[in-house]
Amino acid sequence: MGRVTHRLRPFLLGGLLFALPWACDAAKNVKPDPNGLPPHEVEDLAYGDVLFYFFEDDYFDSITRLLAARQLERVPHTREEAELLLGGLYLSLGEHVEAGRIFQDLLDKKTTELVRNRAWFYLGKVWYQRGYLEESERALREVSDKIDPRINAERCMLLAQVMMQQGRYDDAITTLSNWHGAPDWTAYAQFNLGIALVRTGRLADAIGFLDRVGQMNVRGEEMLALRDKANLALGFALLQAQRAAEARPILERVRLEGPYSSKALLGVGWADAGVGEFKRALVPWLALRKRDLLDSAVQESFLTVPYAYLQLSATGQAADYYNSAISSFDAEMKHIDDSIEEIRNGKLLDRLLTDDKKDTLTWLWQLQKLPDAPESRYLYQLLASNEFQEGLRNYRELNYMSRNLADWRESVSAYDDMLDTRQEKYKQRVPKADAVLAATDLDGLNQKRVDFESRINEIEKSNDVAALGTPEEQQTWARLKRIEDFLAAHPDDPDLADMRERHRMLKGVMYWRLSQSFRARLWNERRAVKELEANIKETQKQAVLVNQARQTVPASDGGFTARVSAVRKRIDQLQERLAETSEKQNRYLQLLAIRELEAQKQRIETYQVQARYELAAIYDKASNAPRPKAQP
Amino acid sequence: MNFIRRVGLSFVCGAWLAALTTAAAAAGADDVAPPAPAPAASPAETAPGDTKTLDQEVQGLKKDVIDLNKDLFVLQEELLFPANTQVAVYISMDVGAFFALDSVQVKIDNKEVKNYLYTAREADALLKGGVQEIYLGNLKVGKHELVAFFTGKGPMIRDYKRGAAITFDKGVGAKYLELKITDRVPKHQPEFLIKDWE
Repeated sequence: MGRVTHRLRPFLLGGLLFALPWACDAAKNVKPDPNGLPPHEVEDLAYGDVLFYFFEDDYFDSITRLLAARQLERVPHTREEAELLLGGLYLSLGEHVEAGRIFQDLLDKKTTELVRNRAWFYLGKVWYQRGYLEESERALREVSDKIDPRINAERCMLLAQVMMQQGRYDDAITTLSNWHGAPDWTAYAQFNLGIALVRTGRLADAIGFLDRVGQMNVRGEEMLALRDKANLALGFALLQAQRAAEARPILERVRLEGPYSSKALLGVGWADAGVGEFKRALVPWLALRKRDLLDSAVQESFLTVPYAYLQLSATGQAADYYNSAISSFDAEMKHIDDSIEEIRNGKLLDRLLTDDKKDTLTWLWQLQKLPDAPESRYLYQLLASNEFQEGLRNYRELNYMSRNLADWRESVSAYDDMLDTRQEKYKQRVPKADAVLAATDLDGLNQKRVDFESRINEIEKSNDVAALGTPEEQQTWARLKRIEDFLAAHPDDPDLADMRERHRMLKGVMYWRLSQSFRARLWNERRAVKELEANIKETQKQAVLVNQARQTVPASDGGFTARVSAVRKRIDQLQERLAETSEKQNRYLQLLAIRELEAQKQRIETYQVQARYELAAIYDKASNAPRPKAQP
Repeated sequence: MNFIRRVGLSFVCGAWLAALTTAAAAAGADDVAPPAPAPAASPAETAPGDTKTLDQEVQGLKKDVIDLNKDLFVLQEELLFPANTQVAVYISMDVGAFFALDSVQVKIDNKEVKNYLYTAREADALLKGGVQEIYLGNLKVGKHELVAFFTGKGPMIRDYKRGAAITFDKGVGAKYLELKITDRVPKHQPEFLIKDWE
């Protein structure tokens, strides 16, 4: 499993990481990061927030926030980077159709050739991985030559692989023959070219390429495994062409401790057998027979060993080995049947995902270890396949999404309660607001202000200085007025002459005082009128707002109620679909697993039939042999 | 007649050969599983049922769930944090050579609204250029004060705690504030700023 993870991870990462240099290209003038991280200057907070989740490998939250930010128009400065990242995020969630649409949109816009090339290239890669070979080829062919030579080399390699998977070996040969790339990729190109030639029956042409890869001086498990594979492929191709003597030294190059050693041992035995050296063939085959019976090469050795003994006329030993093979095959088939039954009971996926960390969706996810279950030993090969891993990832993601929607369903119920509470509060507040509004006579207030202003105008016009006096002054002025009226009623009374003089003086003093402060008082009154006018206007505005609120609050709450209701319906519908599709995915993966086990069983059955037949033949031969004459 | 004559050497070898002669992919692009030892068959032949249809169904479904999540996210924000009262506080970190963030405390109008402890993964996400929305809440229109305290390891890996404050006007639109941790290279010290995004 570790090997599988190692093999897949670089590619999986590549699918997304390509988007990031674009996300970070904007601020090149910022000083470089000491850790080699690309500099980044925040242009849109919302985009930074998306990146925060992205860098945490939480792609589901990242994509949700990015889509929301896009809808709320919160990424105005980083729109293009955001789109590239969005495409990458969709890819990470296996949404290659949507990713393709986004990349296509970007490609239709005024993006640089560099962006276009990378978008097409990674799209082609993902489509290839998911088995969409035609789409993959179309995308890869969209990549122009103006691209990093290394990426171009990889592109050509991918194209050749697409062709080979489609059985178009001649096209693949043409593509690979013209291929030029970095030296460390040459081995892969030569290997694939050799394979394509073998597949078209051109062994003579293939030998040179495969032999070169098979003899390369390399380090590292990956290249060593490729070297082994080249030797193994060439060795078996030669065996098939009845060139056993040439095949042996080639097969002997395969490392004994490598992943292909069992096949190599089997092949070396066949090479010896092919030239009639059955005793020598027994050496690799007997060594192979001691290995785990799960390996099909080992299963085959259970037949080849007695076959060799038979060729060496050691019939007894051959019969013993055939008997042993039949017992071993019987036991193995029983184990496989039990495992198939377990899988049919539907427990396989739950077991596989028992130890899974369930709180995030990330592109990095791979099944890390197999459960301790009887069927596990048969599933290593299946789990190494992309098809099963992709299916398992889909199943896991569907389960994650179902949990996610269940959480939202609870939140949405809380929103309902909240909206109900708001509505209730509104109902309580409306009568109070209505009462306040009803008690507020804004027209009356305004009329009073108008009257007040007219009065001020009149005072000014008539220069009625006493009208703006203080209450005490007005009181004094009124007393003086009354005295004046009294004096006027007695104009000829000589006793009032003194009083008249004093009144005249007092009135003059009072008038002088009132006149002195009249302008200032008039200005104050006018200011007061203006303030009053402003206050009335503000009150009118508030009243309008309160009235509007009264009208709009029910509508806006109603809007939320409708939205909440709509999303709840969508949640329920999607939960149903998730359950259905999850079940389909489960059945599909079960089917893959059962098919794998049945194929293994069928192979063992074939071997068992052959063993029984051979054993019967031996017994038949023994029983028909001329009996030695009895001694007299 | 032995079995090898019956099935023939060529068949035995042919089966292995078919399994072995599939394309190999290089390390940088090794999305193709190297052919494991199995009977001859290409991936296209082994897919049971209508795999692509199921794959398309899964894709369509996941897309719908993602879209719904987006709608729920927007609805939640509009419902709980309407724009006229919304205030969002973000935190960003530039370089981080002189400061390793452990925690942040945020107070608005002298009331603690957030106390956040960072995992290594989160701190790393900030260093890579992520900006975290550390607080989302509601405030009335008017003047407010935000105070943030940053705790972590400063220069020489010593315990380090610093604060930063800002007085800001909350208008009728949403208010965004960014707590910025930057390196003040000449002084070999971190710097803590609060930016008011108008």
